[in-house]
Parts: sequence; C-alpha cells; structure tokens
Amino acid sequence: MATWTDSHRALSGRLNLAQLTRTLDLLLLMTAREVKLRYQGTVLGFLWTLAKPLLLALVFSFALSYVLRIKAPGDAPFVLFLLSALFPWTWFQSSIQFSAGSFSNNAPLLKKVYFPRFVLPLSAVTSQLFHFVLSIPILVLLLVIWGYYPGLEWLVGFPLLVAIQLLILAGAVLLVASFNVFLRDLEHLVEVLMTLWLYLTPIIYPLSAVKGKVGHLIYLNPMASLIQAWRDLFLDNRIPGTEIWPALVFAALALLAGTIAFKSLEGQFEIAL
Amino acid sequence: MRSPYNEQEVIVLDNVSKRYFLHPQRMGELKTALLHLPTFLRASRARQEFWALRDVSLSIRRGESVGIIGPNGAGKSTLLRIVSRLAPLTKGKLTVRGRVSPLLELGAGFHQQISGRENALLNAVLLGLSRKEAKEKLADIADFSELGGFFDQPMRTYSSGMYVRLGFAVAVHVRPEILLVDEVLAVGDTEFQRKCFDHIEKLRQDKVTIVLVTHDLDSVKRFCDRAVLLNHGVIAAEGKPREVVDEYLSRHFEFSASPTSRGDS
Repeated sequence: MATWTDSHRALSGRLNLAQLTRTLDLLLLMTAREVKLRYQGTVLGFLWTLAKPLLLALVFSFALSYVLRIKAPGDAPFVLFLLSALFPWTWFQSSIQFSAGSFSNNAPLLKKVYFPRFVLPLSAVTSQLFHFVLSIPILVLLLVIWGYYPGLEWLVGFPLLVAIQLLILAGAVLLVASFNVFLRDLEHLVEVLMTLWLYLTPIIYPLSAVKGKVGHLIYLNPMASLIQAWRDLFLDNRIPGTEIWPALVFAALALLAGTIAFKSLEGQFEIAL
Repeated sequence: MRSPYNEQEVIVLDNVSKRYFLHPQRMGELKTALLHLPTFLRASRARQEFWALRDVSLSIRRGESVGIIGPNGAGKSTLLRIVSRLAPLTKGKLTVRGRVSPLLELGAGFHQQISGRENALLNAVLLGLSRKEAKEKLADIADFSELGGFFDQPMRTYSSGMYVRLGFAVAVHVRPEILLVDEVLAVGDTEFQRKCFDHIEKLRQDKVTIVLVTHDLDSVKRFCDRAVLLNHGVIAAEGKPREVVDEYLSRHFEFSASPTSRGDS
C-alpha cells in the first residue's frame, strides 16, 4: 500500500481541484503539441485532414453513384450524403489509430516521470477533435453550395454528438492503448479492423436501409446510431432524440472497460515498456 | 487519534519489498507466442523471482539530505523509482508527503521537433506545476540553462550538453519539496556541474528534502546529512555519511580481496 500527498495543498476539496486543473493543463499542452507535430514538415499540412474524407467520398461516389447508379435516400446529392458521415468517422478512426501506440511509443517518458498517464491517449482524441472542428467550415461550404443551410439546431446537436463520441473514444483509446503495451500486434490489428468497421457502419448506406434479422445486428455497432445522428443533423438539421440511446449505452460501456483496463494494467507498464 | 507517523517525516518506507520476475525469454509478440506455445507455457511457469528490495524500512525527515550508496544491482534505483511512483511496490507500506521531482534522467520526454521553450513548459507541467506557474518560471529556466537564442530553436539543434542543461533547469525550478537525484550530476562541464551543486545546496537550505543516489562517495560525504548503504536489496548500514562510506569501502575491499566469500549483512 502506498500513499502520496501534496503536502503544501491542504487535504480538502482544493486538492482535487488543483489536480484536476493540472490534468486539464497537461491535456491542453499535449493536444497542442500533437496538433503541431502531426503535420510538421509537410507541405499541405492541415489539408491532409481534409484529404482523407474528401478522397474517400470521391471514390465512393464514383463507384456507387456513377458506376452502380445507386441513389442516395432523400434528395441530397451522394457526395453530401457520404461526407456528412465521413467527417465524424474520420475523427473516430484517426483517434483510435493514432492513440494505439500512445503508451508504447512514449516509453522513455513513462519510465522517468509519473503523471496522469491517461492524458497521453486522450490527447490523440482531442487533437483529432480539433482537426474535425476545423474541417466543419468546409462541410458547411459544400452544404450551402447545394442549398442545404445549417440551422440553429446545430448549436444543440453538434456539442451533444461531440460529447457522446468523445466519451466513446475516451473509453476505446484507453482500452486499446493499454493492451497495446503488452501486445504490439494490436496496433496493426486495429488498422485492419478500422477499414472493415467503416463498411459495417451506415456511412455508404443509411441506417434505415438495414433490414432483416441479420441486419439488426448492426445495432451492436457502437457507431451505427451515432453516425446516423450526425447525418440527420448535418443534412436535415435534426436534433438527435431518443433514437441515439444505443450510443449512450456504448459510451458508458466503453468508459467502464477502458478505465478498468487502464487501472489494472498501468501497474505493469514499468516491466512491459 | 494519533497519527502513526511524525508529521516531519516526509518519506516513510515500512518493510517495503519489490519483486520482479525474470523470464528466460520474453514473448512480446503474438506470433512468437503462438508458434512456440509449449515453450511459452513452460517459460511462464519457469519464471524466476528476483527481490530487488527486501523489507526495507527507512524514514526521511523534511529538509534532510540522504545519500543512497551501494554496489551495482543493490536496489538503489528501484528505491527511487518506488518513491517517485514509477514502480508499484510488492509488499509493505510507503507514505510520501510532498511533491516529488525526479531527477532520474534529465530531459525525459523532450521532443526534438519543438523548441526548448515549449518543451520546458510541457516538462514543468509534467513535473507537477500548473500551466500558469510553469509560464512564470520560464524566464528563470531560460536564464539558468544558459541557452541564449537556442531557447526558441527546435531541440534537434541542441548539443547533448544543452539538452541536459535545460533538463536540469526545469527539474530544479518546479519548486520540488522532495528532490530525487539519480547519478545525473556527472554531466555537463565542470562549470555547470558546480552550478548544479550550488543550486542543490540552495534547495537544501530551503528545506527541500533530497535523496541522492550516486557512486560518487565524495559528494555523499559533502552533501548528505545521512547515508544509507544498500546491498542485495537490504539496508546494510545507515548513519553518518563518513562512517557508512567507510563501511562500504571496507566491504567492497573485502569483496575484491576474497571474491569467494559473499558474506553480507
């Protein structure tokens, strides 16, 4: 049993407040560093964040809309239909991919200084959130070009969906990054799984098109109802309602699993790193 | 109810033990583990215990400077790692009161691609300051590290001496209450080394508790109020620096004189 106390701060509520502020400071600085380093030395910089969803949308439009002549449900053009899901998906996918190695790649730091370590994978999520928010003006521009005007509903819907996705991601990255310390294969497995996961999420098809007994399994996908909610918000200005309850359940489960994994594995980092 | 420990005691180890397992072969990869499953299972059973520390009891008071000496593998660094929270202990009880600043390896976590200033800020927050406090210290850190214009250059342009200087500057400016120093002062030029020792001396006068792990027995005699001799994970001697150093030297002399007799404690 071991206890550490900060003696110059009284053992009261202030102690926790001071620790919380410091943890948030750390998250802020780490996020800023991550944002800065991500595209350092590249010519296009931040544009790479946009390139990923835009190029995917282009290729999917060509294959599905132009070649196979599939029409998007509703009246939205196929590109908008895709992009309204691909932007939030890119935030999800990059966060998980970039955070998988956040413990294992920071061994020198983790072995020398003690700090709230969960900040490391979380900073990958928040820095990707920063990129996601920066890419929203591009989405709005495209929406407006096709005559889709964002409504005031966004002011409620956007923060709400960001919060839910943030919680799911926080749990997921803690889980993946913690296990990756002991099994580096996970990093590579995650990369493959994320590609497959894209097709199992209502991105190139709407959630409503999924029917039948087997189809209902899609609700086991934590991202299914969430991505549909993003699309409803971006295209129809619809504030998410009760239909996103699966996402909330998955957020709670992810946080629980992530915290348990991190708490129980953290003690063994010193040997495995 | 009476507090079990004196308030003046800032580090208290009560029968602390630390066990490591030695694996004949590490199977870090899934593929290796699966391909050699029988070996893998046998290996996990054949793991060997190694006690880096055994029932170590030690208490250090506020403002005290304690030198930890002993041969390689005696458990000196493990002790520091446990106190700095980097290694969980296996048995026993540990109480630490006050902000610990580890000087275990200077500049851990510095990133090559960003400037010394940005690294210093992040490092100071890592070591326990808030962002506001860290920003206020930046001028002092820049001054102490003698980096001049390099402070705002990316750290990949730094020489190893500059790297260490910045690391030390950050570590001593985070207002530590407990400073853990592990064999890091043998770096930098003589001039900077003296500056480091002067600064540590100043911290000592400010009632900062210092735990110094080193092979440099002279600095233990010069700086410490007390010395602890570790050998094979147990405390072999404890007391006045001069006496403990003499004890260590005589033991060491005995060891090298008759390598067959490994009689300790």
